[in-house]
Amino acid sequence: MRHVISILLQNESGALARVASMFATRGFNIESLNVAPTEDESVSRLTLVTEGTEAVVAQINKQLAKLIDVVAIADRTETDHIARELGIFKVAVDPAATGLFQAFMAERGAHLLDHDDEHVTVELAGSEREVDAFLVGLPPGVTLLALVRSGPLVTARGAVALT
Amino acid sequence: MEPRPAMTVTTPTPAIARVAQRHPLSGTAMTGAEMVVQVLADEGVDVVFGYSGGAILPTYDAIFRYNARHRSPSGEEPMPLVVPANEQGAGFMAAGYARASGKVGVVMVTSGPGATNTVTPVRDSMADSVPLVVITGQVPTSAIGTDAFQEAPVSAVMGPGVAKHVFLVTEPRRLEATMRTAFEIARTGRPGPVVVDIPKDVQNWEGVFAGRGRLPITGYRRRLETVGRNRLDEEKAREFFGILARSRRPLIYAGGGVINAGAADALREFAAAFRIPAVTTLMGIGAMDTTGPLSIGMLGMHGAASSNYAVEDCDFLIAVGSRFDDRVAGVPDRFARKAHRIAHFDVDPSEIDKVKRVDWHHVGDLSQALGRLTVYGREHGFSGEFSAWLGEIEELAGTYGFNYDRESPLIQPQEVVEAINRLTSGEAIISTGVGQHQMWAAQYFDFRSPRLWLTSGSMGTMGFGLPAAIGAQFAHPDRLVIDFDGDGSIRMNIGELETVTTYALPLKVLVLNNFGDGMVKQWQKLFFKGRLSASDKSLHKKDFVKTAEADGFRWARQLSRKSEIEQTIQEFVRYEGPAFLEVIIDPDAGVYPMVGPGQAYEDMITGDFIPSRDEPDPASEPDTSGMF
Repeated sequence: MRHVISILLQNESGALARVASMFATRGFNIESLNVAPTEDESVSRLTLVTEGTEAVVAQINKQLAKLIDVVAIADRTETDHIARELGIFKVAVDPAATGLFQAFMAERGAHLLDHDDEHVTVELAGSEREVDAFLVGLPPGVTLLALVRSGPLVTARGAVALT
Repeated sequence: MEPRPAMTVTTPTPAIARVAQRHPLSGTAMTGAEMVVQVLADEGVDVVFGYSGGAILPTYDAIFRYNARHRSPSGEEPMPLVVPANEQGAGFMAAGYARASGKVGVVMVTSGPGATNTVTPVRDSMADSVPLVVITGQVPTSAIGTDAFQEAPVSAVMGPGVAKHVFLVTEPRRLEATMRTAFEIARTGRPGPVVVDIPKDVQNWEGVFAGRGRLPITGYRRRLETVGRNRLDEEKAREFFGILARSRRPLIYAGGGVINAGAADALREFAAAFRIPAVTTLMGIGAMDTTGPLSIGMLGMHGAASSNYAVEDCDFLIAVGSRFDDRVAGVPDRFARKAHRIAHFDVDPSEIDKVKRVDWHHVGDLSQALGRLTVYGREHGFSGEFSAWLGEIEELAGTYGFNYDRESPLIQPQEVVEAINRLTSGEAIISTGVGQHQMWAAQYFDFRSPRLWLTSGSMGTMGFGLPAAIGAQFAHPDRLVIDFDGDGSIRMNIGELETVTTYALPLKVLVLNNFGDGMVKQWQKLFFKGRLSASDKSLHKKDFVKTAEADGFRWARQLSRKSEIEQTIQEFVRYEGPAFLEVIIDPDAGVYPMVGPGQAYEDMITGDFIPSRDEPDPASEPDTSGMF
């Protein structure tokens, strides 16, 4: 099963490598990993997506909780949570398809970031499914050149916060 | 530049008193190297094992100056440096010191090869939960990552699973706090090795010693507090005794955690209070007094047949500081199959349900938990109906205990252990290498107390025995310490024989020589149709006695006649200085019983001299492709 894990990590030399190594040494794949500062400058937040059986992921979570730099950890899969992702799409648009693409963007809530004669760069923030659907639903005449995804960012619903 | 006041204070204050008190050197200007040494002194370090080199020179110099300044009236250094032949030796000396004393062992080595040579003892200490602080010099911060001379990426090499934690100190202002935090991490929770990698410029930096302060490892401390607060309460105790009351065949399965937690007394009292018999793991040897009535010996791959049968027969298994390791529970589903209930006590939450699902568990301090149970049971007048079970156990021990070929004209390894054991009566410190000799020692030596049995259990590092014994002798200068080694294992760190005589340690080194890697040969005979691939050393030219003599052993002998065992062993053990004894043993002696890798206890083979309760199923030969 797919697991979304939130980790608050002390900003220490090698801390991120230690988290990654927990997965690497067990032959586990990290599907996505997002690392960014938090309101506390000594702490970063990691959002990590991985896949594995319940028992193995439970064991990985326990082992992660043994890392000295890990401040807090929560497997969001188990709780009601909000997940958002940013997708940045770089596409080539046939002149004939310009109107269709603009309508598609408007319908999906995507925003134009940049364009020249050959490339259009747009962003879409939404659920993973919305980002997936945007990719699959690109209208004819629109060719994907590159996709940059943040991976999901998650937080629990309501007042519950990871501290 | 202002002149720096000399460091004058010598006595390390006890940790508790230190909290409120201002450090007498607080506000003093010091180099990073001097701060490292001062924190070592504050932490009560009385010996440092290590080898010098370019990137650690400033700190070696600081120790030299510290020792010169703080010499005792009789000329003794407060923090002697013990120099091994190889840094791996220093690591295992520190580990032997830590295992025998319960204190943090300290290693100090240079960058690059100095640091990488300590990887094996660091991983070994991680796997057996031994507290170490390993200080490694590093190339200057400006040179890191340039493939500088003697550079190695220590913080990567010592990652998770190797060290409990590794610090790379890039900000000199945090050095002092980092050193203190390293000791805190090493000794708290499940103990382990902590590496502090210190670039040379950080050692040479000059700053002001604060005399206090640690790093904010908030998550770690909070998790420790949670485990610390988790005291076994009334409800948990009631549940436990509910299970125990329904049990007729309870069995304690005690591991190294009992020893690390200092919970051997609490365990012995608990077992005695309710008359529950106990088996121990290899790492748990000494948790129970092996000569006591409720101690029924080691379980597992080479455990006593009687102990393993007791595991097979028990209906309630009580795991205390043990972790269902593959050498104990090779097939977890078939381990203790008749146990209706399993209880598990540990300090590490990740061990619960890791291998085998348990019905009742408690994560917390073992002494508190066992002590609470003892009090609860006594208050409630608990009395189990275990007499029949204890009778069965006694019968098992009488029939299926250890035995060997007592009639052979060749010296049997087990009789060598028995001869030493008659003289030492379970009070000597015994270290071992890894292999057959290690198992014979585990099977036949008595241990009345914890921290006498020093062995590389989880990692199984050949070469552990000699340096670990050296470290243990530094921890206990007046105790009898014996390295009970094998010819294969001792070769790995044989350079440390010189260290024994250099420091005039009264250590006893015994090598069982069966001319090869005995355990490997045993597996090759059992599982590889006797093809002795690269394990036979019968044509080697090695002369062990001359080797010991060359390294300064005045008492170095070979024992090859059965009739001389008693006399020679007596002289060896009672010799006042360092002594070396090579014993030529039956090269075909095997370690029995044996539960093959990936096999269950009912498939145990007991050899020719121990009866077997079950006929081993010939069809259940282990699958050699998956075994390890």
